[in-house]
This record gives sequence, C-alpha cells and structure tokens, in this order.
Amino acid sequence: MEELTTVSIEDQIIDSFRATSDFQKTSLAQFKDLGIPLKKSEAYKFTPIKNILSKNFDWSANSAFVLNIDVKAHFYPIVKANHLVFLNGTFDLEKSIVTSDTSELVISAITEKDNLYNSLGIIADQKNDAFAAWNGAKTSIPLHIEVIKNTQNIPTFIYHFADSTSGESYSYPRIIVKSNSGSELSIYEKLIVSGDNNTFINSVIEAEVKDNASLKYTKTQNYPANVFAIEAIYGTQTSNSRFYTNTYSFSGSLIRNNISLAIDGENCEGHMNGIYLLDNKSHVDNNTAVDHRAPNSYSNELYKGVLKGHSKGVFNGKIYVRPIAQKTNAFQSNNNVLLSEFATINTKPQLEIWADDVKCSHGCTVGQLDEDAIFYLRARGISKEDAITLMLNAFTKDTLKEVNEEYVKNQVLDLIEKGLKNE
Amino acid sequence: MLKIENLKATIEEKQILKGINLEVKQGEVHAIMGPNGSGKSTLASVLAGREDYVINGGSITFQGNDLTELNPEERARAGIFLAFQYPIEIPGVSTTNFLKTAVNQVRKSKGLKPLDAVSFLKIMKEKMKLVDIDQALLSRSLNEGFSGGEKKRNEIFQMAMLEPTLAILDETDSGLDIDALKIVADGVNKLKTSENATIVVTHYQRLLDYIVPDFVHVLYNGRIVKTGDKSLALELEAKGYDWIKEEVGELA
Repeated sequence: MEELTTVSIEDQIIDSFRATSDFQKTSLAQFKDLGIPLKKSEAYKFTPIKNILSKNFDWSANSAFVLNIDVKAHFYPIVKANHLVFLNGTFDLEKSIVTSDTSELVISAITEKDNLYNSLGIIADQKNDAFAAWNGAKTSIPLHIEVIKNTQNIPTFIYHFADSTSGESYSYPRIIVKSNSGSELSIYEKLIVSGDNNTFINSVIEAEVKDNASLKYTKTQNYPANVFAIEAIYGTQTSNSRFYTNTYSFSGSLIRNNISLAIDGENCEGHMNGIYLLDNKSHVDNNTAVDHRAPNSYSNELYKGVLKGHSKGVFNGKIYVRPIAQKTNAFQSNNNVLLSEFATINTKPQLEIWADDVKCSHGCTVGQLDEDAIFYLRARGISKEDAITLMLNAFTKDTLKEVNEEYVKNQVLDLIEKGLKNE
Repeated sequence: MLKIENLKATIEEKQILKGINLEVKQGEVHAIMGPNGSGKSTLASVLAGREDYVINGGSITFQGNDLTELNPEERARAGIFLAFQYPIEIPGVSTTNFLKTAVNQVRKSKGLKPLDAVSFLKIMKEKMKLVDIDQALLSRSLNEGFSGGEKKRNEIFQMAMLEPTLAILDETDSGLDIDALKIVADGVNKLKTSENATIVVTHYQRLLDYIVPDFVHVLYNGRIVKTGDKSLALELEAKGYDWIKEEVGELA
C-alpha cells in the first residue's frame, strides 16, 4: 500500500512539471534520482514526510495566485527598508518596494534569459536534497539579492504570500543572496496565507557570504494549521565572515527547516539560533548542519524548545570538522521543556570530527520546569501561571540576541508571550 | 497574628512535624533552634505553603484565617515572607524584573494600582541601602553566580520590597561571614515594627546576637520541647543540644 502511494506522489509531481530551462530540467532529473525520502531515511526518521505529503495534497495540480490582495498592508511599517514580495513562490518585483540604491544593494527578478540564471543551484546541495531539487524543477522567477562590497544596508523584508482560497496552493520560492566582501545585511522573512486549503511551501535560499561580510537571516514561522513547509537555507562562508540564521517557529501542520552551513574560510563565525514554541498538533523539525572545511573558525548553535498540547519537535544538529579544520570551535546546544504529557521531542546531536586540535561541545536537555524555582517565585506573590511564563520567557530569550530589528523582535516576543499564556 | 496548633506534617510519607504549638504576636521576634533534622526548615516551608509537604494534623491560623487553605502566592500576598535557606538561581530572570512583577501582584491583591517604573525604581533605591546591595547585582539573573552573602542580602532586600507582616528567616546565617551577617541582621532589624513579626530559624546562636529574640523555642524530633527567652540560646551555645535530647529522653 505504501509503495503505491510512494510511486504516485513523485509521478504526480513530475506530471505537473511545465518548465523548460536547463536548470529546471537538471533539477527534475536530480529529483527523479533521489525521490522523496522514505521513513527509513535517517534524516527524516521522526518526520514521515512522504506520508504527510501524500495524505494532504494532490500533486498533479498547479496553483495560481488569483487573489487580489493589498500586499502593502502586510508590510512592516518601516520606511527605510526593502519590502520584497513573492506570490505563491514567484518573486514579484512590481509589487515590491525597493528603497536601496543599486550602489548598495541590487535586487533582481531572475528570468531564464538572464545571466543570473546560472547562479541557481550552485550552493544548494540538489544532488542530495530531494526537496531542493524539487524546488529547482518547479521554481519560477527567483529573487537575486546582491549586496555591494563594503556597504552597510537597510533591512530587507521578504513576504511570501500564499493564496489557497480556490484550492491547494504550492509555492517554490528560490532566493539567492550574494554578500560581497565587507558588506552587511539583515533579511527578515515571513509568510502570509490567505485561504483554508492546504498550502505547501518548498523554499530554498542560497547564500554566499564573502570575506569580512555579515549576513543575518531571520524567519518567523507562525503559520496557520493548513501550512506544510519545507524550507532550506544553504550558506557558504569565506574568511572573516559572519552568518547568522534565526528561526522562530510557533505553529504550522508541518515545518521542516534544513539549514546547512559550509565554512570555507578562517576566522568565520556561523550562528544558528532558534525557538520552537509549539501547541496543538504542530510538528517542527529543525535539521541543521555545519561543515568546518577550514581552520580557525567558530560555529555556535542554540535552539530552545517549549512543547505543549500534542505538538512534536525534532532537532538534529550535525557538526563536521574536516582534517584541515584545526583550531575549530564548534558548539551546539538544544534545550527543551515539555509542558504536556502528549507532546514529544526527539533531539539528536551528531558530531563527526576528523581534526585533532578542536574544541567542540554539544548538549541537549529535555525536562520539565524546575519546581523549586516555581515555588520560589510563588513565595514572592507571583501566580503559578505568571511564574511559568516568566521562566519560559527567560528560557527562550537568549536565542533572540541577533535580531536587530525591533519590530521583528517585539513580534517574536509577543508570539512567545502569547504561546506561553495560551493554556 | 499566627497560631499553630498541634501541627503535623509529612514528606514522602515520613512524619517530620509531630505536633507543633506556637503563637506569634505582633511586634515579636521568635527564634526556632534545634539540631539538624529536627524539622526547623520543614516548619518554615510548611508555613510558606510548599506543596511537597502534606499536613496530616493540626491547624495554622494567620490573622484569623486558615492558612492551609491558601496556595503559596496567596500566602505571600497575605503578608508571609520566607527568606530561603538556599535561594534558587533562576537564569535569565533579573531580580528587578521579577520583583516588579511580585510587588505589583501583591499590590493588585490589595486593590492597589501597580507601581510605574519610576516609582518602583525609587522605592528600590531606598530599600537597596538597607542591605547595601548593588544595583548591578539586581540587574543580573536572579541569584545566578551570586556569592552566599549576596544571595542572603538579596533575600532581605526582597523582604524589604514586599514589606511582609510575618517574615520567616530560614537559616539566614548559614554561609555568611561575620560582616555579611551584621549587614543582613541590621536590615532585618530596620524592617522591624510594632505591627509585624519575625520568626528566625537557626542552628547557631550567633545570629541572635544581632537579631535579639523575645522567645527562643527548641525544636527536636518534630516537636517544640523547650521555650525560653534569649538566655536559652546562650545556654544552647554553651552546652550544645545533647542535654536537651537527654532531658526529652528522660521525659519520654
């Protein structure tokens, strides 16, 4: 029975394939080769992705963005910023607001005729990641952001609008970020869904962070229950660069985050921070990897989970330290608080270290709140509920330190507060 | 103010308190002394409402109300304060932030308006002087990385902010050098009025040189076996607890 569904989902996807470019054709071939990972695949052990996708979508259909929506109403009220719009996975330059001067930041919609088209699929590991290959086969009009050398930039917001008012919707956004040497940029991303039909997002971000550059990529994932998202960030770094990903997940039927960082230079910093604060039946799977391929660099990963209701969290953190990557400092920690007997967390650190002069550590904890601490706060007159909120707020807060934009930070803090209070 | 009658309490089915009788009136300072394991800290915890303990006999009446009906936060709001023997470290929660929540929840329960940031800070500055505590310390995570003395001073500072009717100091002298002990005791004495009362739980007499009790009770094996004035504490200091044990043994 499972085998039947297995065949049909890939065939459905392949049947719906309409594109003509070489890149899309190559991607499709890669996807055909790989197939959607089965349950026995180690990387999807706790997220039976194939079953979930088979059950919830008709893959032979294609969806169009038909809704007439005032996109600007959803923009953050920040004037000195770029506001970039995707409609069902297609970048729409006309609906976007680009404030930056092209001497600082160049924002382009990539079409097939464009030279930029050749930049697709270079950083994303489409040979091994079926979803990235699938995205490549289906993506239309990717976004290209080039950050000009030695510029400090205003924030850039990316809004993904999904229209599932008239049927299931499918989005395959692809974003290329090229941070040239010495440049600085922060990107904030969010999803706005209209409609109750099931909504599929398969996004791929390819980021190249060159010497002395800094890039911060922040996602707020507060999705309605009809959203199933598989979101990848692939990053490469060269010497003295800093790359930060912040991933804050609050709800959604399924969210799988694949973040993969290749450190190819010395004195780099790679940071991956995240919160998953989940309730109901939300299922969030954070799958991260840092590959140290050069000496003297630093990576740090900090994920905090709070699980309520029947929610499910999965964390898998890989650290690779290649033989050449001596003097690497790589740290990872994943701490979880389970607030419901029906909630689950599967957490797994995975370190593969081939160099001998390195400092690596990992730690994961799963627990309940410290009863002594709750009593201490109550003994000062604070209600039990507020004591718990106070402690969980503190527990999650340290993952927010790299979010510079106050609007986004406050929004995440509000979501934390709301998520904690909502019993 | 506080009346404890024949109080019995267990933890994990072990009988710790075996019938405590104690009455504390306004303006009084009571010292509860006793050897290790006699039930002193249990009594303090039971009064603060710790839920690990099961009361299986007797009564506690505070200002005419049955205290056992109240949960810990309700007791705190009613004016009971426990200074912990081992103050808990809470990462990420600053003393200032948590105390503001606490003070305002206590005020709310009394129908008072919450304090705004300015008035809260003003009161905080006044009370900080009482125990000679540094503002930088209060901005840090609650008790995290504090020295023993800093933790105890922080307890008394919290007491000053909450202005309790009945303060219970559980082994507040443990882990303090003599200078810190003086500062802490001085803070407690300054907070003393004719309206409130203090219960000092201690193993040693030395704290009572600085916080002078009106009554000294000796707790042994879950019961108060002897009550006297401050001279009893001196006698205990000189002779140890063995003679009490013998006396009780002879009585039994």
